[in-house]
Amino acid sequence: MIQFKEHILPNGLKVIIHEDRSTPLAALNIAYNVGSKHEQPHRTGFAHLFEHLMFGGSRNIPNFDEPLQLVGGDNNAYTTIDLTNYYLTIPANNLETSFWLESDRMLELDFSQKSLDIQKNVVIEEFKQRYLNHPYGDVWSLMRSTAYKVHPYQWPTIGKDPKHIEEATLEEVKQFFYSHYAPNNAVLVAAGNIQEEQILEWSNKWFGSIPNRTLTPHNIPVEPKQTEQRQLVVERDVPFDAIYMAWHMCDRLHPDYYATDLISDVLSNGQSSRMFRKLVIEQQLFNELDAYISGDHDAGLFAVAGKLNEGVSIEKAQEAIQLEIQAICNEMVDEYELQKVKNKVESTLIYTEMNFLNKAMNLANYSILGNIDLINQQSSSYQNVTPKDLHRVANTIFRDKNCSVIHYLKKC
Amino acid sequence: MQALNRTIAPDTFPIGNAKLLPVKEGVLDNKIPVYTVKGGDQEVLKIDFIFDAGLWFQSNNLVASLANSMLNEGTDKTTAAQIAEWFDFRGAYIQLSVDQNWAYVSVLTLNKHAEEIIAITEEIIKHSVFPQQQLDAILLKRKNRFIVENQKAKTICQKQFTQALFGQQHPYALTTTLEDFEKVNRDTLYQFYQNYYHADNCKIVVAGNPSDNVFALLNQHFGGNDWSKPLQASPATPIVAPTNEKSQYIVHDDAIQTAIRMGNHIVNQTHPDYPELQVVNTILGGYFGSRLMANIREEKGYTYGIYSLMLSLTEGAYFYITTEVDKQYYNATINEIHNELKRLRTEPVSAEELAVVKNYMLGELLRDMDGPFAQSAMIKNLLEFEMDNSFIQQQISAIHNCTPERIMELANTYFNENDLITMAVGAPQ
Repeated sequence: MIQFKEHILPNGLKVIIHEDRSTPLAALNIAYNVGSKHEQPHRTGFAHLFEHLMFGGSRNIPNFDEPLQLVGGDNNAYTTIDLTNYYLTIPANNLETSFWLESDRMLELDFSQKSLDIQKNVVIEEFKQRYLNHPYGDVWSLMRSTAYKVHPYQWPTIGKDPKHIEEATLEEVKQFFYSHYAPNNAVLVAAGNIQEEQILEWSNKWFGSIPNRTLTPHNIPVEPKQTEQRQLVVERDVPFDAIYMAWHMCDRLHPDYYATDLISDVLSNGQSSRMFRKLVIEQQLFNELDAYISGDHDAGLFAVAGKLNEGVSIEKAQEAIQLEIQAICNEMVDEYELQKVKNKVESTLIYTEMNFLNKAMNLANYSILGNIDLINQQSSSYQNVTPKDLHRVANTIFRDKNCSVIHYLKKC
Repeated sequence: MQALNRTIAPDTFPIGNAKLLPVKEGVLDNKIPVYTVKGGDQEVLKIDFIFDAGLWFQSNNLVASLANSMLNEGTDKTTAAQIAEWFDFRGAYIQLSVDQNWAYVSVLTLNKHAEEIIAITEEIIKHSVFPQQQLDAILLKRKNRFIVENQKAKTICQKQFTQALFGQQHPYALTTTLEDFEKVNRDTLYQFYQNYYHADNCKIVVAGNPSDNVFALLNQHFGGNDWSKPLQASPATPIVAPTNEKSQYIVHDDAIQTAIRMGNHIVNQTHPDYPELQVVNTILGGYFGSRLMANIREEKGYTYGIYSLMLSLTEGAYFYITTEVDKQYYNATINEIHNELKRLRTEPVSAEELAVVKNYMLGELLRDMDGPFAQSAMIKNLLEFEMDNSFIQQQISAIHNCTPERIMELANTYFNENDLITMAVGAPQ
């Protein structure tokens, strides 16, 4: 159970406070409700590029990192398809410095052509390092564009093409800032060795005077129901063939989310899971095999990814996965097996609560999602799932017409 | 009310020192030492069983790590599948790992399952049987992962760098090849397990919020005389034989970026220079605001990241700078790294920069010691070097007292750009 207090400032900024006195540190986490799903198809990768620019100096403070490091702080940020999150930890007695820094860059960035040019370059090198210079590095980009035809989940956070980053102009950057970075589009979470009154005082002092802004309305198109199986075959310079399968699933707020997650656990969470035991160890078809859900806010994907052992045909591999999928559709998961994956969820949630920064990030994520109370309800939502739920949800998701398959083959 | 002046930073306060959690030292009936770090609010427990069975003790590649992995793969009473089931049903984790000196069997569990988890762990540690079929499956998995990893320029670069630094015969050089997977066999692994996983070669570190009965449980399961063995003779200390060729560019046709690693031998943490050398390394490339990051990423945009790291091992130590850049920036990057190293030993650090680094490092110490798991990691490190808590105080004093002159002196001794070993792996130039 995570205790927290929630307040909303007059300018719309949500302030969430979680006290944890077991640490001498504090965390300030600011999440903006903008991710790659809010981008235009011809300007993908923009939310992430923008995350880089947020470190290039703001209206009154030329450098973000240095004053923070000077008081013992450390920070980073990440962009997902749903949101952009900035987080820092700092000795608790110097926390106000982080309010000063974060509020100034929410107020306004110091937009400079030089900073933009350099960060474009850095992001393009990141593109190469993490996606292109990596065996199998482009597969999720391929899967997204196969599984989604309308919804902006069709491109990855890094972007569809480095060209979109290269072509970004300073004017576009400014426009992006004013239409997405605003107190009324953000959540502030303070956690750690802090006091509620003090946090409220600093929130008002530093963030209260930032005007709310007119936001670009999010008209995110709904992905139409997939009506036939999609298949993509690619050849790459990789050592082993690989197979990727993905089915459309429900969104994060849908009650079936928990059953869906548990299905993926039955299939592949831990060394006792079905797919690991049978397909990796007993039949030795796969070198690695995972089933998991994407966990996105909008309707996401249930994915199975496997690297094949030498000598195993891709058809045989796909058939083996499909047999496991059929088994979970045809036969009820027994109480013991369901209890096992529930126990694992229970302990994992407790392990996660050991760290104040984790808690801050989770609070921010649930707040952006639109229901912060979920953070304390999820444990019972998982516990309430029945074998019947698993059966029903499995049969809803695992239809061939709902599936995209990628055969990722090594070049001969 | 006065208008807010956003150009002025709020008041700042000195950074305090981390509170060390109490460490209870106990000894099981058979003399196995147990260190318990108690803290945190969650009813969670982590136990590390540590054996002197790391890479240092193996006579062939893969032996130490595979012997360690096989502990999970079946005992005389329980199959691998049943072991996995036992942990998974209780939401507990077992992690098997080795480093240069030590091999670990680490378990993480909720307190309520501690008894059953300790019982199965006893079986795993004392009565593993290393079934051939399980070994075949693990070997295949490892080999395939090895093949994928070895396609990355970065991995090749790392291996070549350690070989150039230590010579191919040294256990700190990463030299595993595909042939090693064919050479390894069950009997060698089982013998290694018999030789090194026993009571006289073991210590235990407990962290989290253990119930009062955990020590008694450990004594019941691990404190007997049933798993004592004579200690093996220590392997002879190998000779460090660095390569004569200081700089090498290895062509890797598929590489989109060039991986670079440069560095040299330094002293390890038992040497009095080490804590201040950490300050020097932080200035150079140890944090986001470091000189390498500021120059090569934030000023030039050549890379997504560049870092300098120090690795302290019991029988040696080295520092290395690591980055990946597009091949068009390769020469410029090497030049800039040289410039930064030269600047470090010839120009005094400004008071402003030094203040940032010192305070950042004090904050890092707090982060590194936050919570029982972090502190147990610290204790394991001190045990490995047979050091005590006073090392933390040494680090804090070094951060407070390090001067610009001392930094130049240390940079001259350890970080001289003319002595470096440079390894690069990338597309043809």
